[in-house]
Amino acid sequence: MRITANAKVATRQRILEVASKLFLDAGWHPTTTRGIAAEAGIATGTLFNYFATKEAVAAALIETALERAYEGLPNQPGYGDSVEGDLFSLVWSGFRSLAGFRTFLGAAAETIFSPLARQSPDSPGDAIRTTHLQWVQSIIAEHGVPKPLPAVTLQLYWTLYLGVLAYWAADESPGQEDTLALLDQALKLFVSSLGAAR
Amino acid sequence: MDVNISQLIAALPDDGGPSSTQTLTQERVHEIFADLAYRPMPLGSLHRLWTASELSAQIALAYLAYGIRQWFCDAETAEKALLETNLRVALKVFHRLGYLRGAFAKIGQTAAHMPNVLPDQVAETLDTLHSSAPPMHYLLIREVVRNEFGKDPEELFATFEREAFAAASIGQVHRATLKTGERVAVKIQYPGIARTIDADFRNIQALMLPMRLGKEWESVKAQAGEIHRMLKQEVDYRQEAESLRNAAALFQPEDGIVVPRVYPEVSGLRVLTTELLQGTHLPEYLAANPTQASRNEFGTKIDRAWWRLYLAFIGYSDPNPGNYIFLSDGRLGLLDFGCVRHFTEEERELVRLADKAAFEDPSLMPQLVQKACGIHPADPEFGAYLRIMQDTCDWMLAPHSQPGPFDFGNPSHFDKGAELFSGVVRSRHVRAHPMYVYHNRAVYGLLALLYRLGAQVDVAEVLRQERARNPA
Ligand SMILES: Nc1ncnc2c1ncn2[C@@H]1O[C@H](COP(=O)(O)OP(=O)(O)O)[C@@H](O)[C@H]1O
Repeated sequence: MRITANAKVATRQRILEVASKLFLDAGWHPTTTRGIAAEAGIATGTLFNYFATKEAVAAALIETALERAYEGLPNQPGYGDSVEGDLFSLVWSGFRSLAGFRTFLGAAAETIFSPLARQSPDSPGDAIRTTHLQWVQSIIAEHGVPKPLPAVTLQLYWTLYLGVLAYWAADESPGQEDTLALLDQALKLFVSSLGAAR
Repeated sequence: MDVNISQLIAALPDDGGPSSTQTLTQERVHEIFADLAYRPMPLGSLHRLWTASELSAQIALAYLAYGIRQWFCDAETAEKALLETNLRVALKVFHRLGYLRGAFAKIGQTAAHMPNVLPDQVAETLDTLHSSAPPMHYLLIREVVRNEFGKDPEELFATFEREAFAAASIGQVHRATLKTGERVAVKIQYPGIARTIDADFRNIQALMLPMRLGKEWESVKAQAGEIHRMLKQEVDYRQEAESLRNAAALFQPEDGIVVPRVYPEVSGLRVLTTELLQGTHLPEYLAANPTQASRNEFGTKIDRAWWRLYLAFIGYSDPNPGNYIFLSDGRLGLLDFGCVRHFTEEERELVRLADKAAFEDPSLMPQLVQKACGIHPADPEFGAYLRIMQDTCDWMLAPHSQPGPFDFGNPSHFDKGAELFSGVVRSRHVRAHPMYVYHNRAVYGLLALLYRLGAQVDVAEVLRQERARNPA
């Protein structure tokens, strides 16, 4: 039996919807690929045709949300004024877009973005990381720092980003104002480290 | 490399709570209080202590995590597993803000002393993050405004300048135009600062514990409590709006003294919108070589504003000259009402007693010392406190006890005051009613302002007029 491309897209979409509901309702740790498959009404083996792990499922959710945010970036008033401001927009509009996933993101990020996972060829966090860092590099280039940036600089950025992301996921302050401050300061630190690269 | 991984992990906090408790000596706390009395709030070291402990420490942690990874990037599998454990620890710790404060303040500080861990540049940056609220770019401003009103600045105002035109102690000020056409100043607070105050005061209290056996303990504790209370008030812009309204009601057009009007529909907890006053601050005013007559007029207005507020039991407590604005039409603008004390009934009694002892009846002096400093006449130090009180009153009265205008530009009066005050701090005669923490610095601030202005003011006449308006 041939599965049409449309059916494939629909199944994938269904898995993502079911999984995000499970991650949110049951939590990150208790949710398994088997549980997701059962809820989606497919065999576990079928799910593996789409996603190798639950990390990969979550990564797909995150990726889609972030892409939506990146698209809207240039329309923000004040975008383009400064490196810091643009990076701030990049991160914060991403967070806004991820807001629905906040409760499980902290736990998920730990394994999705684990440096150990990165050693394997199809690490689920890799695409997110690569796209995000491409944005970072082009923002920095827009503001006059020659490409390519030293690997160490990007590594530094990514470490800060993950820290802020994890912090945001658990931030109970009104409007996540504590994260606003943390992000602002993290970016100040990062941008000042670019001084050496300039 | 001579720092090993176990040392680094040891540098990460365990669950034992803040451990920097013992590092602040009694001397240091006194110094901090003295310092606080002289400087604008955000740069005082006490303030630095608590805003610093917050965020830069978390960033220091991110660097530690980063450092850990770097050392292991070429390592074998077993070491990589260890690396992952450490990254997990780092991420977990990020989750726990409450915890971060005490222990991380220590990491933030010690990080700066671990050249093997942090490159110089990073250590320097950590240092600069400590000093004051950093400037906000427009995209951050928008988020703060959105958090406050659920709308963007572009929706709320007819125009809104993206660049700030002035810095505030814990935020910044932007020019804008209301939809109804008025030009306004919009003060916006840096996010997250207000909520750190309570937790940081718990730390401060822990830091002060070693002092608790000293004879000044009760007084120092009460003074710390007062600073805590005032800081909480200062970060609540709704209270500042209320103080602005109360103060504005005390002045009439013929006084030539203005308190900017508040626009409540675009003001809240972290955003305060007021009528834009167009004028210069003291340095630009002086740079334009104003005439003596103009200086005297402004000096008189400054003195009058002080007494008007004081006699209404409002302490205009922030001595920063930036709070006064010199309008081109000769009016004086009073800006900052965040750090304003409304005297309690008990404090009003004290104000009345101090007035009476100073101006009318010197025999009340011992009673004043007892009430104002909390010192019993049987205390061996009573005599010393009485002398300080007497000297201070004499000094404050000097400008009042001569006929006609007093020349505040004469340095000898100013120097004498500075000497008196530093003597008090040096001799550690620091016991005082908590209201004096702010009152003293306000009085010296006022004097410093009149001195820089080089104004000649008939203070006795101003006080007579103000008393006549306000028989209470
Ligand atoms: N209504 C206003 N008109 C003109 N300038 C203002 C106004 N409000 C604030 N400013 C400017 O912003 C600065 C900081 O404001 P202020 O209220 O003193 O802040 P803070 O007390 O929080 O430090 C002032 O010194 C002044 O230059």
